This record gives sequence, structure tokens and C-alpha cells, in this order.
Amino acid sequence: MGIPIGIDVRDDVDPRALDRAFDHLRWVDATFSTYVPDSEIARVDSGAEPSPPVRAVLARCDALRRRTDGRFDVHANGRLDPSGYVKGWALEGAAAILADAGARNLCLHAGGDVLVRGERAPGRPWRVGIQHPLRRDRVAAVLAARNLGVATSGAYERGAHIIDPRSGRPPEGVLSVTVAGPDLGTADAYATAAFAMGLEGPGWTATLGDYAALTILADGRVLSTPGLDRLL
Amino acid sequence: MTGRVVARRAVPAALATVAVAALLANVRSRPPVIPAPRVTPPEPEVRRVSTRPATASGPVRTGTGRIVTTPFSVIQVRVTLTGKQLTRVETVELSGTGARTQAINAHAEPILREEALKAGTARIDVVSGATYTSESYRDSLQSAIDRARG
Repeated sequence: MGIPIGIDVRDDVDPRALDRAFDHLRWVDATFSTYVPDSEIARVDSGAEPSPPVRAVLARCDALRRRTDGRFDVHANGRLDPSGYVKGWALEGAAAILADAGARNLCLHAGGDVLVRGERAPGRPWRVGIQHPLRRDRVAAVLAARNLGVATSGAYERGAHIIDPRSGRPPEGVLSVTVAGPDLGTADAYATAAFAMGLEGPGWTATLGDYAALTILADGRVLSTPGLDRLL
Repeated sequence: MTGRVVARRAVPAALATVAVAALLANVRSRPPVIPAPRVTPPEPEVRRVSTRPATASGPVRTGTGRIVTTPFSVIQVRVTLTGKQLTRVETVELSGTGARTQAINAHAEPILREEALKAGTARIDVVSGATYTSESYRDSLQSAIDRARG
């Protein structure tokens, strides 16, 4: 199984920077993959001492577990699995590598996560659509952004499944939660947690400070936080 | 900006979250019969939303909103702001004790903007959606965007 990753850089940049960015993503995959038997994360799950970057990721995930009242939990699936955070964290690392090479205007996407920096063209912010939960070829909203991470958790995709670690069941009544903010890994964890909260998610997303959110309910209502208005 | 580099590659596995299909249940059961608010209501039920102030600092202010009638309850919302950050939302239910409500985020409605779901065709550069596998990526809106941009 592969996750398509898109990198769109609108500056002149040494193509080797792209190679370094993809090398980073491959390293993330090899280190954190729960599908690879001897990945570092698998060995850590069996008691091995984590390397410094893995320890830092796990520490961040622990802080997010507390911030989300346990709704984001790397042990939710019965094994150590930080991919709900790592997905976004990996793109942040790739963006940093590209920025080091002089890329100021870029758009990255992987597995439904989006990270944008700068502009798509002079004076024109990036246009980030939010997938319509029921119509594959439509968007529910469009965000205009210059520096933003956008993550969505939902149950409309074939094969998508988020378990609420506290109840053990999928949530009811919510089709998707999109969280947008300065750090994509954090937005990822918040979206996962808010979706797991079901109908209590939207109210909780109103407490996330500089992270904005948009929740699409099964009954056709869309609830968004005040911070989202400036992006629409 | 004069250059543009676009690259698409597939990276194996584990950036995906583990997933299976979920059925979406209709959320509304029959609402309970709510008695009309009495002129002198009994002790109102206060339901708090547990929030963490995180790094909130600054003057603490509370505000009480208008009374909101939903299909399931009559409520009033109190919010607490610490500095500029919303740190607590409380709902005070005025419908009478014993009435278990099924209000869907009634406590958050004055804070959240509510709109009807629309299906848009605006031109976009990228789409954020729930995690997809490479199989469903082929059918995805993001795939269509990537193909259109060559």
C-alpha cells in the first residue's frame, strides 16, 4: 500500500532538495511504519529505547493525548501507532527541508493532509478545498491560505475507520472534521480527536486557540469555529 | 517566482492510519417531550464542557448569551474568556430537571457558525479529505487535480 504524495514548489529550487525531501519521507516511513516488523516504532513497542527523534514524537503525542482528553491516543489500536500525528509531522519536516533550499512558496499533500507556505502566484494565496463527504467531485468549502496545515478526519472514505479509544466504537452523527492551523501534526491529532468525540467534537474544537475547525454532520449541517471565517 | 517543480511519488505504507469502513447512523432518536419552561423554574441543570486553558492568560471575563430553544431543550450559554482565548463553555438547561436532552452541541451553537452543507466546484489547488489509500486515491478529487495540472 502506498500513499501518494504531492510536492508543488513555485520557486526556483535545486531539484536535489526534492530528493532530500522524499528521502526524509522514506525515513519517516521506515522508522514509524507499523506494517514493517522491525521498524523502530515496532521495536519501541516491544520495549526498545527510542532514538531522540522518535522520543520527541512520542513526547508530543503524549502531550496531545492529554490535551484531547485521551481521544488522540497512540495506543488506541492496541499497538503503538503514532501515524495520526506522524503523517502531518512528516510533511512539516519536508517543508523545512525545502525551505532550507530556498522554497518559500509550496504546497504539499499526502493522504489527505495539506501543508501550504507562501502563495500559489504573486498576490494569490493557495486555495485549499475541503472534500465534500458525499460527492467525490465536489468541495464543501475552500480555504485561502499562505501558511497553514490542514488535516481532515472522516468516515466517508472506503476503508476509513476511527475508533474512540474510550468507547471502542466508531462515532455517530459526524461525517468529517477538518482542522487548520500552524502545525500539521497537531492539526492531524486534533482532527482525529474531534472526530472520535462525535457530536461533542464541534464544541471542543472551539477551545483550540489558533487552530480552526469545520465539522460536517451527517444531518447536513456544517459547524465551524470563529477562526475559520478569516480563511474562507 | 519563475520556477515550478511538481513531483508525485508514492511512498510505501505507514503514513496511513489504520482504517475499516464505518456505518453512519442517523443521530436523532425521537426527542423527549420537553415541558414548557415554568415561570419559576426549579434548580437548572448546569452542564459544563471540560476545557483546558493551555497557555491562556489575561483578564477573565464571562458572558451569558441569549436563551436558545432547540428541538430538544431550552438552554442558555455562559462562556468564559481568559484573555482572548475561550476557556470554558457552560450550558444551563432551563427545560426542567429530569428532561434528558439529546441536543446536538446545543451548548456550542452560539459559538459555532452553522450552515448547510454545500457542494462547490470552485477552482482549487489541493484538497484535504479523510485518509485515502492509493486505490481510492485514483478516484479521488486530489487525483483529478493532480492530473489536470500535469
